[in-house]
Amino acid sequence: MTPYAPGQNRGISRRYFLRTAAMAGTAVTLGSTIGRGRALAQAQEVKADPAVKRGGTLRYGILNAPAHFDVHQSGTVANIGPQSPMYDTLIRRDPRDGSTIIPDLAQRWEISPDGKKYTFYLRKGVTFHDGADFTSADVKATYDRIIRPPKGVVIPRTPLFASVGEVVAVDPYRIEFRLTESRPQNFMLGAFASGWNIIVRKKTLDDNQGNLRQVMNFPGTGPFRHVSRKDKEVWIQERNPNYWNKGLPYLDRLEIYNLPPFSPELGSSFLAGKVDYARIMDPVSWRKAKEMPGVTATAFNQSVIQAYFMNMKRKPFADARVRRAIHLAMDRAALIDVVKDTAPMQIGGFVYPFHEASTPRAELEKRLGYQKDIKPAVQEARKLMQEAGYGQGLKNLDFVVRDIASFKLWAVAIQAMLKENLNIETNMRVVQTSQWFEEAQSGNFDLAISAIVSTLMDPSDYFTSWYGKDGPQNYSGWSNEQFHALTKQIDHELDDAKRRTLIRQAELILEQDPPLIPVAYEQIYDAWYNRVRGQNSSKFFGIYDVVRWDTVSIAQT
Amino acid sequence: MIGVSLIVFVVLRVLPGDPLVAVLGAEGYAKLAPADRAALMRDLGLADTLPVQYVRWLKDIASGQLGKSFFRGDTVADLILRRGPITAEIGILAVIISWLVGLPVGILSAIRPNGWADGIARTLAVLFIAIPGFWLGLLIVLALLFWFGYKSPIVIVQLWENPWQNFQIIVGPAIILGLAQGAYISRMSRSCLLEVIREDYVRTARAKGAVERKVVLHHALPNALLPVITISGVLLGFVLGGSVAVEQAFGVPGLGRALVTAVVERDIIVVQNLVLLYALIFVAVNVLVDLSYAWLDPRIRY
Repeated sequence: MTPYAPGQNRGISRRYFLRTAAMAGTAVTLGSTIGRGRALAQAQEVKADPAVKRGGTLRYGILNAPAHFDVHQSGTVANIGPQSPMYDTLIRRDPRDGSTIIPDLAQRWEISPDGKKYTFYLRKGVTFHDGADFTSADVKATYDRIIRPPKGVVIPRTPLFASVGEVVAVDPYRIEFRLTESRPQNFMLGAFASGWNIIVRKKTLDDNQGNLRQVMNFPGTGPFRHVSRKDKEVWIQERNPNYWNKGLPYLDRLEIYNLPPFSPELGSSFLAGKVDYARIMDPVSWRKAKEMPGVTATAFNQSVIQAYFMNMKRKPFADARVRRAIHLAMDRAALIDVVKDTAPMQIGGFVYPFHEASTPRAELEKRLGYQKDIKPAVQEARKLMQEAGYGQGLKNLDFVVRDIASFKLWAVAIQAMLKENLNIETNMRVVQTSQWFEEAQSGNFDLAISAIVSTLMDPSDYFTSWYGKDGPQNYSGWSNEQFHALTKQIDHELDDAKRRTLIRQAELILEQDPPLIPVAYEQIYDAWYNRVRGQNSSKFFGIYDVVRWDTVSIAQT
Repeated sequence: MIGVSLIVFVVLRVLPGDPLVAVLGAEGYAKLAPADRAALMRDLGLADTLPVQYVRWLKDIASGQLGKSFFRGDTVADLILRRGPITAEIGILAVIISWLVGLPVGILSAIRPNGWADGIARTLAVLFIAIPGFWLGLLIVLALLFWFGYKSPIVIVQLWENPWQNFQIIVGPAIILGLAQGAYISRMSRSCLLEVIREDYVRTARAKGAVERKVVLHHALPNALLPVITISGVLLGFVLGGSVAVEQAFGVPGLGRALVTAVVERDIIVVQNLVLLYALIFVAVNVLVDLSYAWLDPRIRY
């Protein structure tokens, strides 16, 4: 940009000066805002409030039937629900808003300008429940295991740290994660802050050959410690008197009752006052709870997509037109309505609909496949089937349905929609969960409906595992080179605005060449009696991050 | 029992479904490499040949531990010791209720056949036989909740810990199961008593001036009871099976619920041990029923 026209006086023009000064000022302001934002987050620690009343017992209803005790190896709330209060993470999501990343065992952190080195400065004076000192050796052991699990150990969060080449304990209270390639900071910090990545003692891992599946009570640094556990009934924990965050937790005791999600036991136990807090309630009980005086009932987004897969190794589904036709033939509003009394859901596409990078709802609802009136979408779908040579429809498709109420309800509705709109006939086969995954992995299906989960809301997490070539949850066996190339760019783009644009481009590819058919996105219904204070789950994403109860108190009556 | 053990062992290994899905969770299972899967199956003892696995199970039974669950390494023996008393109490109370309700109703129906009381009794009997116990159980749970704000304790409380809370846990399922069994007993006792009451010796007893109550209870009933006792033994099978569904409906953490969970999770060790236990109880009770004939009927000697 030339500040002056040829032949003009070569002094600096007023316009140039003002424009350049404005740009510089913006850059400085932005830079300091971003830097200040990060600095503010690091200062935004959770601290005890002396005005809050201490003591009491929280009775919490959640799925508390862990298949084993190794939180890292788990992917279910059955572990993280009861076990998380006993552990801390390096950094965490602020329980006050569910999203800001704030210090935890790491007091502060630095990220190198090239984004390839993350340095965490650890707190001093933290002890494990067994009295041992917490040091960087414990963090290194924890993350070495997560990043490169020993034989026989499977940790679903390993891919989040694929770019970490080395974890170095610089000194007892400083640890560095050295990346082989830079990744977006929000993504990396989100991975470190995930509630799954609890810090365990190095000695615990050494004593158990790196496998904690059978170790019920391994020491943590968390606000609560184990007292007793009765299998599939209740896990009792008490306040950790030596917790590093002085003044916390407010509660004396946690009683974590095994009450399965959406179950009548959970709903009835809460409504009868047997528990103070219920998580993952069914809609009917939740609506009843909402009407009760002295009760708060909220809904928040879960990190799960409900979808059905099409086996691309079978002829019709190899054709993207057939898959797009099936995608367009779905009446998504009706699918939400069908399960409204079973599980709370919301409409979405291939990207979490509440993520900043996804297409805004108002725009999404104008797109074919998401409109209230499905006629234009169905017309387009029929046209695509005709072009693909399947204008007469398809017969005898094997539709494998996971044996859970919502999937069975959806399967009937989907079967009807496919028949009515595209003359596709399916034979439903309802199977137990364990068999569903066997069938899905072995490709023994034409269509198969289930739910799949991600750890982060960030697309770099689930674009790899749900849609990635040979991705572990890519049950369709889908592949699209243009998409995979874009994913690589998204994984490495450090500029947020550019990254958003790339994500939108990727989303459009998925719309035209669907790897799965999105049915809905799950919501979680929580309810609690107002004697429970300090909890506001309405802003949470998922049920795996804000799970520690250290800032919750209970008003004594 | 050997036959039952073989059948349950083979069936569980033939059924589709991978226990590793429940052990690792869906995400973990999706990321499982073949070599890791093989190692896990070895750790669980599922990589051995079927005869080896069967013999190992028999050894576990002989040792009293009954083997370990795939999950958390809990022993099946601990599971049975913790939850067994609850299910046993439900079963025993259900049998008591079935006799306390079924027998008097059957007697009343028989001594006043085709009357209004008999009509009501027979209608109710058919209803309790036809209506699924778990559905009735759910209705009761909801009625107690919405009308009285009541829910029974949500963890196991043993009889010796707190008898009142223990009673609250077992009474609901026991009533549902007891009424269903009582319906069968009332029908069977009615028809047996109707047959016996027409016998010559009963007419003779009346002719000798015995009061009607003595005629029915001392002369007719003992002879009418044999088939009723037989059916009670068979009905125990229904109680055991029914307890699975009814415990689910009431949310009672008994053996029935443990069995359902184990089936869903493909926890083969727990399932095969619980099924064998149920078979053993069924066989034992029916042997006792057979032996009781000798006490009830002096003509029968073994």
